[in-house]
Amino acid sequence: MKDTIVCRCEEVTLQELEETARKYNSSARELKLLTRAGMGFCGGRTCRQAVDKVLTDITGEDPTNELPLKVAPPVRPLSLTDLGGLAKDE
Amino acid sequence: MNNRIVDHPVLGQIDQKRKVTFQFDGKTYEGFENDTIASALLAHGVRTLRKHEESGNPRGIYCNIGHCFECRVTVDGEDNVRACLTPIQENMVVESGQVQPHPLDPSKEGVKPRTYAEYKEQEGQK
Repeated sequence: MKDTIVCRCEEVTLQELEETARKYNSSARELKLLTRAGMGFCGGRTCRQAVDKVLTDITGEDPTNELPLKVAPPVRPLSLTDLGGLAKDE
Repeated sequence: MNNRIVDHPVLGQIDQKRKVTFQFDGKTYEGFENDTIASALLAHGVRTLRKHEESGNPRGIYCNIGHCFECRVTVDGEDNVRACLTPIQENMVVESGQVQPHPLDPSKEGVKPRTYAEYKEQEGQK
């Protein structure tokens, strides 16, 4: 059960989340920064609730009153090349 | 190999729509008009649309409504196109995502520009 993948994009397992949350007593944002859960291609859409739930179980922190791991712009993934990367400096 | 439900108890017979041929990773497949890339490939039993950029695990349809991006493929050279939302067109070339070099991979030290000067010099070379 423990090696269930919670965040599909970054392949973060439940065990990593729990260990990190216990070790650093982290908030939702810190957990994201430490384990990259929620930072993947889908922008946290798939795993945000699960990460919040894991956190509530361990640190008892209710994610609603913390800064929510909301889906922030850009709403669609954008590559740096689209933004005018290499050789597009005209 | 046809995984389609051709005679659905509620939706009835699948009417023989126009066939569309497209390419996926070098092989030619055939689907009906207005099929999405993901469903046309699924009908042929092809479920792996890409490999995870780092671990190489096979990935494919997950949410199938366009918000998880697990089914992203390269269509006619354009990256990160969602296969579950994109209808197939005639002679469309679809490529699956492969494992990418790790950004912190020391062996690739010389390839990526780290300073603006290196970037300019590399860009100059192109």
